[in-house]
Amino acid sequence: MPVAAPELKTSYAERMEMLRVAKRAQTLEKQLVRGSMDYDDHGIVLPPEGQYQVVHSMSGSGIEISDAILSAFVPSGNHPSGEFFGPRACGENFRRLLEIHPVHIDPASSLAGAYMVNFMSYRKLGWNPDVDCSTLLAEHEKYHTIPVIGAVQHMCPDLAIGLRLGWGGLLEQVHRGALANPHAVDYYAGLEQVILGAQNWISRHAETASRMAADDSPLAENLAEIAQMNARLVTAAPSSFRDACQWILWYLLIARMYNGSGGLGKLDLLLQPYYEADCKAGRLTDDEATFHLACLLVRDTAYLQLGGPDQSGKDATNHVSYLTLEAAHQLGIATNIGVAAGKDVDPNLLHRGVEILVEDRCGTPKFLGVDNTIAGFAANGFPIELARQRAYAGCHWSALPGREYACMDVVKFSFPALLNLSLREMMADPGVIPSVAELWKRFKFHLRSAIATVARGIDFHYEHMHRNLPELVIDLLCHGPLELGVDASHGGVEFYTFGVDGAGLATAADSLAAIEEQVESKRRLSWTELIGHLDSDWASPEGEKARRLMLGSGRFGQGHSTGDEWAVRIAAEFTHAVKEKPTPHGFMMIPGIFSWVLNIQLGKKLGATPNGRRAGERISHGANPDPGFRHDGAPTALAVAVAKVQCGYGNTSPMQLDLEPDHRNTAQYVAALEALIRGHFELGGTQINMNVVNRHQILEAHKDPSRFPDLVVRVTGFSAYFSSLSPELRQLVVDRLLCD
Amino acid sequence: MNPATSRSRLPTGDDPVIGRIFDIQRYSTQDGPGIRTTVFLNGCPLRCAWCHNPEGLRPEPSVSYSPDKCIACGECVTACSQGCHEMGGQPLSPTSHTYERKDCRSCGDCASICPAGAMELIGREVSVGDVLAEVLEDRPFYSHSGGGITLSGGEPLAQFEFALALLRAARKEGLHCCVETSGHTTWDRLNRLLPFVDLFLYDYKETDPERHRRYTGQTNETILKNLHSLHDGGAQIQLNCPVIPGFNDRDDHLAGIAALAQSLPKLAAVRLLPYHPLGTDKLKRLGLPHPSFASGKHNNEMIERWLCVLREQGVPVLN
Repeated sequence: MPVAAPELKTSYAERMEMLRVAKRAQTLEKQLVRGSMDYDDHGIVLPPEGQYQVVHSMSGSGIEISDAILSAFVPSGNHPSGEFFGPRACGENFRRLLEIHPVHIDPASSLAGAYMVNFMSYRKLGWNPDVDCSTLLAEHEKYHTIPVIGAVQHMCPDLAIGLRLGWGGLLEQVHRGALANPHAVDYYAGLEQVILGAQNWISRHAETASRMAADDSPLAENLAEIAQMNARLVTAAPSSFRDACQWILWYLLIARMYNGSGGLGKLDLLLQPYYEADCKAGRLTDDEATFHLACLLVRDTAYLQLGGPDQSGKDATNHVSYLTLEAAHQLGIATNIGVAAGKDVDPNLLHRGVEILVEDRCGTPKFLGVDNTIAGFAANGFPIELARQRAYAGCHWSALPGREYACMDVVKFSFPALLNLSLREMMADPGVIPSVAELWKRFKFHLRSAIATVARGIDFHYEHMHRNLPELVIDLLCHGPLELGVDASHGGVEFYTFGVDGAGLATAADSLAAIEEQVESKRRLSWTELIGHLDSDWASPEGEKARRLMLGSGRFGQGHSTGDEWAVRIAAEFTHAVKEKPTPHGFMMIPGIFSWVLNIQLGKKLGATPNGRRAGERISHGANPDPGFRHDGAPTALAVAVAKVQCGYGNTSPMQLDLEPDHRNTAQYVAALEALIRGHFELGGTQINMNVVNRHQILEAHKDPSRFPDLVVRVTGFSAYFSSLSPELRQLVVDRLLCD
Repeated sequence: MNPATSRSRLPTGDDPVIGRIFDIQRYSTQDGPGIRTTVFLNGCPLRCAWCHNPEGLRPEPSVSYSPDKCIACGECVTACSQGCHEMGGQPLSPTSHTYERKDCRSCGDCASICPAGAMELIGREVSVGDVLAEVLEDRPFYSHSGGGITLSGGEPLAQFEFALALLRAARKEGLHCCVETSGHTTWDRLNRLLPFVDLFLYDYKETDPERHRRYTGQTNETILKNLHSLHDGGAQIQLNCPVIPGFNDRDDHLAGIAALAQSLPKLAAVRLLPYHPLGTDKLKRLGLPHPSFASGKHNNEMIERWLCVLREQGVPVLN
């Protein structure tokens, strides 16, 4: 039944402010309880006072976190270790968690729900000890490679499935699948439990909203609508724009709670039919639509794409694309919106995106070089029409919604670790005369060896993940798992492409350049002296002299430098080596260059490197040159350098760009940034993560973050409240600004 | 481009002209329209008291010394044939290195050996091809923004043949070309440059000829004459007016700017350039004396007021 536009007692602008105030309070509470949060904000809120305890856990991205879990929930184990594994146990436990998960209704919001705990934080073992992977993990560790084994899928759901079927329709689909596939009874049981848990959680929100609406609140009408809408959405498919936003939010919250996943893909395309129908029926205004979108964005920082070609190649930018940008603009919080830029994409979308980036200074939106990622994916042998269907859904990656199992952004090869290993091995070999050529030969060997290890890890993961932690939530929005009775991690979907990323490119390239220039060409340092300085971590005054010498060599990003040549060479060799062959079981790997924030972790365990880096310092960030790469820090030099190290198969090597605002002429500043973005993509770039931040403010905030609770920065693929970051991660941002 | 590490070169074409530059600045957004690469040429006939690029004054290279970077390793002592460097006290202690410029020939031997980048030779010889290779790296950014190359300095016309060859080569590549000039040169040079320049960024520093002479070393007579000739010759001109507190921030100079602009009906725009004390640290590193002129603090409100006045008088302003 169409819902008439509410007669509002509180304006949308006022309610937006209420959302912002509440968000700020929630963020401060989280910071006090959880400490540093070096990852996506995710919109998670703390459970009610007295109902939680703080534990140490692993995030979905593989880093240690402090997390708050509900004390009332204790999972039931099905393994001698007390741990739970497999679809039935995971589904049953997750349902029980959903059934006790507190209700969250913000009267100002048009949507209900917020997630408070991570299901994974109730697990003590990330992997079933019966399935031994210790040897394989040790092989990864030899190269400081971050493995895929046990990782959460990084894929994009097809939300259109859920929007079409609703939870009731999905449940029927599960029941039909169970009948057709009796061999997979445990799997379907797990799926059913997830849906029943979700329905319980949603219906409790409907009941609570109904009770709250009975109070004499200026927002009672809104609460009554929330109650009606969610009572309906327990089973029915969404029928309005607001319904659709609410349904998508429920999915996101549940996926996030289950295992930290939850990309959105092309949100503007998904919502367009609802927007048009509601507008045509006169039951939706742009202000309302923008507000609903804001209510969605404030509750989850999911990655989404705006604009870009549809399957036929026609630009799909629509009015919802602009409204979504507007919603983020009005909120001014951490969001992860990717704006497509390409030859045939509406240029106004890019323009508006840049305007918002400059005005809000929240690192949003980011920019997607869709022409290159599409052509790149097609270069794997896929039809271009298929490539166009990929949707941006994570820090630096896209995937085919519901069809591509893509463990993107998990595997990281540390180029500097491989180089250090090769250098040590060469120097320990009495049978060779040390040379750059010999070092490069050994680097290439170890690179291939590390890739082969990762490939075996991928096969192992594919073989066993479904018995460890099946992807019960995203399976619901995939094409295949429900029909076949097979988890997405184990053959349920059509395409398997494993993203494998190189990390520390600049550290490795600058190291090779420094060795070539100072040791081999100019002979200002001998190989033995170099090793001695690396061993001592450049400790003595002579060590410091050598360190400065190596630092002063031709660096990646300078343009036409030795470092530039090595960076291109390493990226090309890596790409070639990854694409030489699939995994032993035939799975495709797709290369990219992106470290996320794992460059800190990878640096901590790495000794000094020949580029002058000290032991334990972070390795270089993503595909970027190291800060200070060039005296003028020119963004165009950066853009040219990063464009030259693209892998070219559809996964990105993003450029991270941090700029100071220019108060003199905003229009001119915006125009220059637009040209910079277009130029980078024309040269082959694939993604830009950008900050426009005031250097002085960042320095002040680094000293005392609490003074700047609203300061949002794009750390890497994700954006975050600066005050939520650890000192190490804040330093990463500060260094980029000070030196670039 | 780092001269020590630069490798690739574009072919220099027909013109092997060599020049001396002290910097190439990419992503310049204040030196003409769009995104530009600004090439700074050595040598300048003026000696503006507020100069923020003192490293470009001399046609020859200059040695810059940054004590904060020095690790007192002593390499420069060995490298220098003139005995300009001395180590007092313990080697590798930060305070032990002294650099005396008296006998320095700016050969750059110390700079090329210095591992810490404390000694730098500012001003390097380059070919047109060298410069163009770097400038063309940013071609896509020029085409998306209407940008291109800007020649600055120093005074770019002080190396006229090099400037001309570079502009000719840039024009051949289809680049938008700007020249930032003091105008203190011969008309013949400006006239020969004219066909290769899309926009002149022409300095107008002071209306009073005597004050102009006192603070720049030259009167503005030639400058004004050349400006009118350029204008009459059909050049696109943007008048760049540095506003220097304590020197030219006077109403009579503002009136002078307005009058001059009104006498140039085809003038593209007037731009007021606020003073930045960028040159002070550089002077110290170059061992140059601080000028007797001491600038006050820049006043944004005054710039805004001047802009209003100019607008009211129908002068096209760009700020």
